[in-house]
Amino acid sequence: LGGEKKKKRRSRWGGDEKEKTFIPGMPTVLPANLTKDQEEAYLVQFKIEEITRKLRTGDLGIPPNPEERSPSPEPIYGTDGKRLNTREYRMRRKLEEERHSMITKMISLNADFKPPVDYKPPMTRVSD
Amino acid sequence: PGFNLAAGPGQPTEVLCLLNMVTPEELRDDEEYEEIVDDIREECNRHGAVRSVEIPRPLEGVDDVPGVGKVFVEFLSVSDCVKAQQALTGRKFANRIVVTSFYEPERYHRRDF
Repeated sequence: LGGEKKKKRRSRWGGDEKEKTFIPGMPTVLPANLTKDQEEAYLVQFKIEEITRKLRTGDLGIPPNPEERSPSPEPIYGTDGKRLNTREYRMRRKLEEERHSMITKMISLNADFKPPVDYKPPMTRVSD
Repeated sequence: PGFNLAAGPGQPTEVLCLLNMVTPEELRDDEEYEEIVDDIREECNRHGAVRSVEIPRPLEGVDDVPGVGKVFVEFLSVSDCVKAQQALTGRKFANRIVVTSFYEPERYHRRDF
């Protein structure tokens, strides 16, 4: 139905119907009666755990099909001639940054929050 | 996290709220917004008959539009909605794990997001 009108693009849904990702201790079904604050805090924590899982497992979400990947920036090479800004490196940096902002937010919501063990706050650049 | 997560979903309704799926940046882009609506409607329809879909969008110059980041799908029946929840929760959408909850239909129709 309507298949002719435009080229079939790829859906944002990943995997098939049986492919589910579960994070221990973080259910994906929430009760309907949460307050806005409870819901927000849960989703921030969920995001932190979700990113932590990606970083730990290396399941970074890089599309296997190169045509679906975003354009690469100009390569930057290290002194050993190896490329520094690889896709994996850039993806990890992006995830680390997102996780950092979520952790900062979580600490503002709950002072007792314990960040994941593999989390290091980014180094603050000292300007002179 | 301050509430009992083992409590489960509570009383099912015909409105499903899908969380952790979309970002305000994606919703601002008209083309991307259309695609997101299509993707969600199409997949939900495979699990139950969809009556309506609401995806609140950020508004220029308004700080906090209620419900931005959430997706609401109204099904024809409660059982369709339950089936869709079971099928979709924990799946990935744009590389994010989908979180779901039932939503009060009365609030949905009031657009109380």
